[in-house]
Amino acid sequence: MTTHTTASTPEARELVLTMDGQEVSFSVGETLYQVSQRLRTEVPTLCYDDRLDPFGGCRLCVVEVEGQRNPVASCTTQALPGMVVHTRSERVERHRKTLLELVVSENPEARIDPLRGHASQELHHLRERYGVTGERMQGRKSGHSRPDDDNPFIARDYDQCISCYRCVRVCAEREGDYAISVKGRGFATQITVEFDGHLRDSACTFCGQCVQTCPTGALADRKALRAEARPEPIVATRSICPYCGVGCSVDLLSKGDRLVGIRPAMDGPANLGALCVKGQFAFDWVQSEDRLTTPLVRGKDGQLHPATWDEALDRAAAGFAKARDEHGQHGTYAIASGRAPHESAYAIQKFIRVSYGSNYIDNCSRA
Amino acid sequence: MSNPLADMEKPEVIFAIGTNMTECHPVAATRLKRALRSGAKMIVADPRRIPLAEAADLYLPLRVGTDVALLLGMAHVIDREGLVNREFMEARTEEAEAFLEHVRQFTPEWAQSICGVPAADIERAALMYARAERGAIYYTLGITEHICGVDNVQSLCNLALMTGHIGREGTGINPMRGQNNIQGAGDCGALPNNFPGFQPVTDPAHAKRFSEAYGREIEAVKGITKVQALDRAAHGELWAMLICGENTLVSDPDRDHCDKALRALDHLVVIDLFRTETAELADVVLPATAWGETDGVFTNTERRVQRVRAAVPPMGQAKPEWWIVAQIAKRMGSPGFDWQSPQEVFDELCSLSGIYKGLDWEKAGTAAYHWPVPEPGHPGTPRLHEHDFPTASGRGKFVRVGFRDPAEVVSERFPVWLTTGRRLQHYHTRTMTGRAGMHYFVPEEVLEVHPDDVAAWGLQDGQWCRVSGSKGAVEMKVQANDRSPRGTVFCSFSFGDVPVNVLTGAGYDPITETAELKVCPVRVEAVAR
Amino acid sequence: MKHSNDELIARWRGEPAPLLPLLHALHDRDGYLSDDALRAVAKGLRLPIADLFGTVTFYHHFSRQPPGKAAPRVCDGPVCKHRGTQALLQGLPGATVMPCAGRCDGPVPVLQGDLVRVGSTPDGLAEEPSPLPPPYPGDRGECVFAEIRTHDRATLAGYRSTGGYRALTAARDTMTPNEIIDVITASGLAGRGGAGFPTGRKWKAVAQAPGGPKTIVCNADEGEPGCFKDRALMDHDPHALVEGMAIAALATGATRGFIYLRYEYPQTLVILEDAIAEAQRVGLLDGFDLYVRRGAGAYVCGEETSLLNSLEGKHPFPRNRPPYPVTHGFEDRPTVVNNVETLCAVAPILRHGAAWYRDLGLGDHAGTKVISLSGDVQRPGNYEVPIGLPLRTLLHEWAGGPAPGRTIQAVTMAGLSGGLLGPDALQGTPAVTLDEPCLRARGAFLGAGGIMVFDDTRHMVELAHEAMEFFAHESCGKCFPCRIGTQRLTERLSGGGPVTLDAWTAEVTDIGDAMKATSACGLGTAAPLITDSLLRYFPDQVARHLAGRKA
Repeated sequence: MTTHTTASTPEARELVLTMDGQEVSFSVGETLYQVSQRLRTEVPTLCYDDRLDPFGGCRLCVVEVEGQRNPVASCTTQALPGMVVHTRSERVERHRKTLLELVVSENPEARIDPLRGHASQELHHLRERYGVTGERMQGRKSGHSRPDDDNPFIARDYDQCISCYRCVRVCAEREGDYAISVKGRGFATQITVEFDGHLRDSACTFCGQCVQTCPTGALADRKALRAEARPEPIVATRSICPYCGVGCSVDLLSKGDRLVGIRPAMDGPANLGALCVKGQFAFDWVQSEDRLTTPLVRGKDGQLHPATWDEALDRAAAGFAKARDEHGQHGTYAIASGRAPHESAYAIQKFIRVSYGSNYIDNCSRA
Repeated sequence: MSNPLADMEKPEVIFAIGTNMTECHPVAATRLKRALRSGAKMIVADPRRIPLAEAADLYLPLRVGTDVALLLGMAHVIDREGLVNREFMEARTEEAEAFLEHVRQFTPEWAQSICGVPAADIERAALMYARAERGAIYYTLGITEHICGVDNVQSLCNLALMTGHIGREGTGINPMRGQNNIQGAGDCGALPNNFPGFQPVTDPAHAKRFSEAYGREIEAVKGITKVQALDRAAHGELWAMLICGENTLVSDPDRDHCDKALRALDHLVVIDLFRTETAELADVVLPATAWGETDGVFTNTERRVQRVRAAVPPMGQAKPEWWIVAQIAKRMGSPGFDWQSPQEVFDELCSLSGIYKGLDWEKAGTAAYHWPVPEPGHPGTPRLHEHDFPTASGRGKFVRVGFRDPAEVVSERFPVWLTTGRRLQHYHTRTMTGRAGMHYFVPEEVLEVHPDDVAAWGLQDGQWCRVSGSKGAVEMKVQANDRSPRGTVFCSFSFGDVPVNVLTGAGYDPITETAELKVCPVRVEAVAR
Repeated sequence: MKHSNDELIARWRGEPAPLLPLLHALHDRDGYLSDDALRAVAKGLRLPIADLFGTVTFYHHFSRQPPGKAAPRVCDGPVCKHRGTQALLQGLPGATVMPCAGRCDGPVPVLQGDLVRVGSTPDGLAEEPSPLPPPYPGDRGECVFAEIRTHDRATLAGYRSTGGYRALTAARDTMTPNEIIDVITASGLAGRGGAGFPTGRKWKAVAQAPGGPKTIVCNADEGEPGCFKDRALMDHDPHALVEGMAIAALATGATRGFIYLRYEYPQTLVILEDAIAEAQRVGLLDGFDLYVRRGAGAYVCGEETSLLNSLEGKHPFPRNRPPYPVTHGFEDRPTVVNNVETLCAVAPILRHGAAWYRDLGLGDHAGTKVISLSGDVQRPGNYEVPIGLPLRTLLHEWAGGPAPGRTIQAVTMAGLSGGLLGPDALQGTPAVTLDEPCLRARGAFLGAGGIMVFDDTRHMVELAHEAMEFFAHESCGKCFPCRIGTQRLTERLSGGGPVTLDAWTAEVTDIGDAMKATSACGLGTAAPLITDSLLRYFPDQVARHLAGRKA
């Protein structure tokens, strides 16, 4: 049975392979991993992020291709016509388990709070799926955390690091900052930045992309983690970033009434999962202590005093009515905001046009 | 933007001018960086050696305010080298011959004498852009915040029209909008010249339609701009004002003038999240719900219409702005403000806007539509000008622009160019970023001065200086920094204690009335503090 | 006079593959790579500073602080370890160890600055030219060593006196590229660095690949412990390599070439540069720009795609294949990567014919292979054997066997990568012969041809531990099975891991199986051959090792 047809040209019809007994068509350039994803075959991986170039580091995604002596990494192997692929053979499942045992053996057994980042549960999930307890393959651990880097945004808990290089690659390939790199080699490999320093002193722009792609929570959203102790469930609400005009899609993370963090929407059409330091980390103003929480009305003493909505709205309306009655349609002006939603700007322009019949309305785009 | 953000990964040659994109639109800049990774070439024109310039194949360090000269020089070279796209020009443009005749006088050597970029580099830039299969122009306020902002934009349009780099994938003229919904504010008709959907108020048909829809006759006369409104208020010719979500006093040029204007009003109502400097002058301050507490719609820089959603309940008694405005209107007896939800407001907008006609609240929720969406079932328009231009003839019109000096030029008294902009970690007047820990990166304002100038002017890195212009003076610390060219200094307008806009804004573009915030002659002196 | 950063950057910026020579220039100047120097390089070559910093730390011969290059580095390869490494480390102030430096035929090398001295004690250290191959003990005939012992062979005049460069001129004047490739194909010459890919096919693929410029890269990063044959070839017959590369260029249409030379051969660098200059001076290399680029201490750079990344100034991780270097090699353009020995065989083959070369091998096997033989034999050295020669003949007849009174307990194959052959294999019948089919059937392989001999006084678990420690040290860190696997195996060979034999064996076997099946390059797939062969041939020593731990 063919489950996917990409094109109807005679050449394209030949682009068919067999995966786990199922005939699948594919397009030129597709990898075996991509084909497996279309089939919803859960091939495990830790170094894969579909926004990045395939890397072939974790080797968990190995599959068997008939006629090849060794399994191949499905993420870096191009689909070819006639291939017969087995994604779940006893042999590859056994190797995957060994690889996971090796990975787990160098990670502390710790609960990884999902607030740490978008992908932070990946290792945890695979560990559960393969029943890896951490008893076998014990030995030295390789990562060295950097508590000395006390920036308030990104925790660098490299004890949890598995050297999948997703942070290095996302920084280079997606963000174009090339701030993160690798020091040393082999088991001594350490994820680091220039001259082993702190993020602030490096080319890092604190966009948080490394945090969101980290599959173990080694790089973590320190701001979100402030809410770690709150008991409520994490709720994600899809929205758009409030800063520049690019319009990045974000998920607002809340616990109860509290906004606790921001996560880039991987399927956001404007940003494709990217954010900048402002969009990622600068959200606390929303629930800042100094927000205006009641209307204020200027009293006879010349000072602003809290008032009820009724008082304030009456006062506001009375002033505008008076200006209308005394000075006609050109005595009043309104300035809409370029930050508020459409409904705000629309309501304000309508307010002027309906209440005064004028076009005495502008927004803040001129300055 | 004429083209969608996705197209930013597709040009063969990128021409970025007057845009510090990696700091002001960082996520859009990642797309350009990906284009570079896959082999695109980039020309960057900016007075400062911004990060984008470091990544450029060709960097054109022009003097502030001389964009028109540079662009005329490039147009001259494109014509001289026979690189004009004749086919496109004949099929899609008008007044081409007159324009080509016009640019023949503007040699790259002439341009060099004004903008300071070597003629050879102007030639290289022209050849790179014109020879590309797909050339794309990106710009921001470095182009528009000048007295010649419109001339600058038209000069860029001229280049695109000469080469046919418009209306195709990976090309276009692409202004990056600076605020999350500044595009939307225009879409919604918060403009003195346009009804919602950019329908001119002076067109009697539109005026009639809106008068009918709103149940009130609306004059078919352009309103005044904000700049004029503040002028009138200062002169006692305007009495009431509603300001929504803008800290006008800090963000606008010429703060003293603005202060005087707002104080002169009989009635000032401010809707905001915070007790801003502007709110302090108000008669009534009304607390609005914040982003994250509000359901609504934003339009981004690529004209994509998207929904924002409330994730947490409003702080205190804060209310959505549309509700607040409707309540005021109702209490004044104005009809048509009985909305029960933001959806009703947005759907009313869609029904009246030609570019939103095919949209509604649900469709905005998919984030899949770029306006114009002229009728239901229309897929939206990610790329503009594929077939025609929004002119009477449908042709792109060449405009014969000429160079003029900024409103104020350097003099013996004010020998240094000041230019302003944003920094990555702060946004505008820091009402948001100032409350979100961003001081970790940038705790205070600094004046970026070339290290040679620091020495020559008797300044010290990290010490205080006074920056004086014809309208005032501010003090801040000096930062020796070779991003600034010699003779030009930079700071942002983000810090309330360094109100740099007391200096700027000597002139306005005659058409848009956008203030000249990017050029200001100053004097820089060390001060003890 | 010391050159400034800017001067050195200006010197190299316009050159091909500039990063390594520029870093070496700075490293030579200061003895280490300072932050300032790296910042200047990053700016000058427009490289991200973080990447540059990371890449520099990958190479163990690049120092980041003084005394750096000035400090002595003592070889602690498996052979040298038994020949005086400890004494040298203790006697030389500031000395640190380095992995096998390719002087197993005359140990122990100490590298200090650009000076290599050999000896067993600090006082006995002397600068000695690398040993020539011993006189040929066989009767079949040599190919690459046939003329290497002739007088003045390393000079252009000496090389030409016995017909050197005639193959190149003949090829240039009388042969089409296809004809050259046909001869090489017919000769059966295959990659002598270990991979054994048919050379003619590789050249044909590059000749036919679209795009250019095309490049010939000579892999002279002889990093495999126990291998020192390329050093002998380059030191004593550099023109043979230059001629081979020039012929490869003619055959494939390549216009530039690089010799990627391991760091540990500083004298060889001078010899090669002199030879190239001589050949250039008389116009022999017209149309072919040939450069030497020096590595900086990374075994994985002997893997051809790591080598290409290193040459390009990138982090020297292996690349994912396909695409292969023949279409996407140096700077993503068609590239031949051949070993020194392979390229040195080219000119003799063209001169004497394909059939001549084929017939040098025994039985069905074509040609010869140089074996670097070291360790517990009486006459260590480089031997060019006919492929298919019985191992016993090499060990006992050619090299004189073990010291009197001793027996050979084990030999390593392919340096360390091919694992061990134990007594069963050495004594059993049919006899082990030096060819891939025979060796692969025994879980080993010939590879680059290093064979280290260990007599009955040696501890095999200890040897396996040293070998695994080497692989762990040299693992690049890209793929999980190798990065973690070599570490866990090293720990298990040195007292770590489960205490019961069953549990220990199960872990070691599982790790090895996963490494062999899933590693991204040959380092990771080869390393567990050590533990495999240890368990196969020396189970008693393993049991004693574990029992010793319990006690």
